[in-house]
Amino acid sequence: MSNEIIFSEVSKFYGEVLGVNRVSLNVPPGITSLVGPNGSGKTTLMNLMCGLIHADQGTISVRGMSPRDPEKLMRSMGYCTQFDAAPRGYSGYQFVSAALLLHGYSAAEADERTWKAIDRVNLREAAHRKVAGYSKGMRQRIRLAQSIAHEPEVLILDEPLNGLDPLVRAETIALFREFAALGRHVILSSHVLQEVDVISDQVILIANGSIIAEGQIHNVREEMSEHPSQFLIRCPDAARVASLLFAEDHITEVRLHADRMGLLVLTRSRERFSHLLNEIVLGGQAIESIVQADANVDSLYEYLIGGGR
Amino acid sequence: MAVYKRGYQRYEGTRTTAWERLMVLPRYSWSRLITQRLVIAVLMMSAFWPLLCAIFIYIANHGELLAGFGQGFQRFLAVDGNFFRVFMSVQSVFAIALAAMTGPGLIAPDLANNALPLYFSRPMSRWEYVLARLMVLGGMLSAVTWIPGLLIYGMQVGMAGSDWFSKYWNLGLAVFVGFLMLVLLTSLVALASSAWVKWRVVAGALVLGFFFVLAGAAQMMNAIFRDKAGSLLNPIYLLERLWMSMMGIDSPSESEPGLVQCVFALLGLCGLMLLVLERKLRPVEVVK
Amino acid sequence: MNLWAKQVLTIARLEVRKAFLSKRGLWVYVLALFPAVIFLVHGFDVKLKRQRWSSQITDHALLEGVQAGETASDVRMRLGPPLMDREFGRRRRGEDGERLEEERYRHLRYFDGQRRYDFHFTNGVLKEKFEQPLATLEENSQVFAGVFQYFYLRLAVFFGCLGIFMNLFRGEMLDKTLHFWFLAPVRREVLLVGKYGAGLVAAAVIFGAGTIVTFLAMLWGLDPADVQAYWQSAGPGHLFWYTVATVLGCVGYGSVFLAAGLLMRNPIIPAVVILFWEAINGFLPAVLQKLSVLYYLQSLCPLPPPVDKEVPAVMRVLLAPAEPAPAALAILGLLGVTVLVLWVASRAVRRLEVNYATD
Repeated sequence: MSNEIIFSEVSKFYGEVLGVNRVSLNVPPGITSLVGPNGSGKTTLMNLMCGLIHADQGTISVRGMSPRDPEKLMRSMGYCTQFDAAPRGYSGYQFVSAALLLHGYSAAEADERTWKAIDRVNLREAAHRKVAGYSKGMRQRIRLAQSIAHEPEVLILDEPLNGLDPLVRAETIALFREFAALGRHVILSSHVLQEVDVISDQVILIANGSIIAEGQIHNVREEMSEHPSQFLIRCPDAARVASLLFAEDHITEVRLHADRMGLLVLTRSRERFSHLLNEIVLGGQAIESIVQADANVDSLYEYLIGGGR
Repeated sequence: MAVYKRGYQRYEGTRTTAWERLMVLPRYSWSRLITQRLVIAVLMMSAFWPLLCAIFIYIANHGELLAGFGQGFQRFLAVDGNFFRVFMSVQSVFAIALAAMTGPGLIAPDLANNALPLYFSRPMSRWEYVLARLMVLGGMLSAVTWIPGLLIYGMQVGMAGSDWFSKYWNLGLAVFVGFLMLVLLTSLVALASSAWVKWRVVAGALVLGFFFVLAGAAQMMNAIFRDKAGSLLNPIYLLERLWMSMMGIDSPSESEPGLVQCVFALLGLCGLMLLVLERKLRPVEVVK
Repeated sequence: MNLWAKQVLTIARLEVRKAFLSKRGLWVYVLALFPAVIFLVHGFDVKLKRQRWSSQITDHALLEGVQAGETASDVRMRLGPPLMDREFGRRRRGEDGERLEEERYRHLRYFDGQRRYDFHFTNGVLKEKFEQPLATLEENSQVFAGVFQYFYLRLAVFFGCLGIFMNLFRGEMLDKTLHFWFLAPVRREVLLVGKYGAGLVAAAVIFGAGTIVTFLAMLWGLDPADVQAYWQSAGPGHLFWYTVATVLGCVGYGSVFLAAGLLMRNPIIPAVVILFWEAINGFLPAVLQKLSVLYYLQSLCPLPPPVDKEVPAVMRVLLAPAEPAPAALAILGLLGVTVLVLWVASRAVRRLEVNYATD
């Protein structure tokens, strides 16, 4: 049985509106982040994986299982959705335990697992309060508790860090890492790009329903070599360095910082830029620091999706 | 930059009048409603009955077409209070159906999406909001009630002449006022249902339930008590009594409630609906 | 226990609590128990009147002897003081249709120990005479048959089931909670059966109990000897079949509304169509009458409903009730239709997608 989540030429339309278009993906175990602007198709991809919606074209396999077979699939999958509501009148405890009872656990086993999951998200004190009365962060945590209570092999999280305070956020990220370390899938979407950058093993960039790039962040960056790379240079005579840089054809843009001691340089060739810098330094110009400005997800996001964002 | 450093200045340009501002809600609602196929279908269906009545009036006023028929048939074709009562009764079914379809979408979505605080944070009071929503329904229902009613009446006056008008001038007034009362009651019921439940679909069922279940319950009470007092619970009965009275054809049996009681019961129902609106339309988010 | 059975039970247990105890469902209890309350109030009223009027009983033969055309003072002189003597005037449009004429009305009421007699005088002359038993078992049974078939099945059970069964899936869509169920390791068909079971238990218990309580309330206030004789003869059978009709009504309407909630974004439209179809059913040819839930339910009722006096005479001529179906056929027919509708619903639930944005 395959250990991956595979999308083959998957398309989904909402009437005349495109959800995702001919998506083909192989998602290995580990932490994978889906990154894209609002309406790009992240939630659609997640819902397709869980069978909440069905693909109009193409096939999806989640570790060898079909999303159209919830009885089998949901035993090894947990989905922490963005939908904020719990069944009317449910307390946090009931919300988690009812789901476990539906898995077929005995009442005692369900009770034990419920408390374990609730403890993992630090909600024991509020467990018997109605979910409808929870704060946004508490709702997020109880949904997380419900999705991990049955120890799924595939954990899908739609914007899981929204509304969490920094401490809980750190604990939650640790929880994801713990899951991934066991060889499980953790797939999450987020707009908090810095966090995704730090915790993800791989990233999938999506825009307008199409996959723009996928893989490890640095590999993705390499793949996009046709796009200019950005570097920040600090030097005492930035104007002089700028004029030297601008004479080269692979340099597409040079911006001088207001203090006239910094430069933002865009180059089409990292290799030639490296040689050029060596020559400039050997020519007597002092360079204090060189930092690549676009190695994180934010910059990739800007390049690949934003198109002027 | 901090807000205070931006040199904030209030808007000093010309502003629309309060009335124009109020009309924003109905204008948007009407333009949305008339794009719905189902609403268009009901509006079209509700034009059939007035059309049939217009044909009836045409035939009734052309004696030459009736030459071969007996006295009984000619009496049947009389255009009088009973004719307009039947016209109003049938047309009111379309009005209720239209209210059940369009009314629930006016307030329930605002409640479900917590939009009321947004409305009430603008220069708009709760009652102005209700008035704006009432105007939406009032406009829609007018198109199937008093407007075709007065057209039919006008057609009859035009064909039958001043003698008929001097004898039946009260029918025009009865059609107008009677339909206005129907429009007011059904609109208030639809809005109250829409405010009572956050779901459009359920609110629609509630509107139908209000008219059908209350009518059934009234008949049931009458049957059990061998009486007619239960009819006071039946909004359709109450309206019909009011119409018949204005048309001068009200002849209730002794056990039936009096006209004054019927009018008070109608006002009571309207008051009840206003109370529901007063209780439910508040600019707060209620989490249960 | 088989996993599916266990899951059905779990779903039903979780849902049934919601159906019974939610504040949102209180109106269903009101619908179910409203006739019982009215019958109880009537029973109390009958008891009170019998007690109050028994001190002023008039001879039956004297009451029967009153003829149209007599004057109010003659009647009063012959029968003695009445239980009620009400006099009032009303202005009516004259023959020419323009002039208003004042008419004087007088109502006298007497009681012979069992029946009440109402004499209506217009301008001093007896015009109408009404004789009505205070309450008899036969009459109350007739009233119950009418209330049960015209109000209870056609409106209370109908709207109650609409509310309960529509809430099961469409309600969850509107509450944006359906994903909770769809993310459980449960076959969609199992979910459907579990939810339908929960709705059915709730509806059957609420309306079944409502039927029983209403039936008992109908008997309250009647002559105890009559009631005892009734319980020893046809009473238990009547109660049984009325309850069966109610439960089967929940089974049939429940499946239809469950399917409507899955198939249509706005289930009110099919509900209106069904309500209209059931309402005009009596006027349709016999073959078409058999295509309604109400026909089979009415076939199970022990007494036919009285013809509604409110129906205009012209319409009454068009009323042609079809021959009732045999009980076994009615039950099997309803169950068959239910299974078919649930099968259609199961196909729909498999295809159903969670897309709250469109609701």
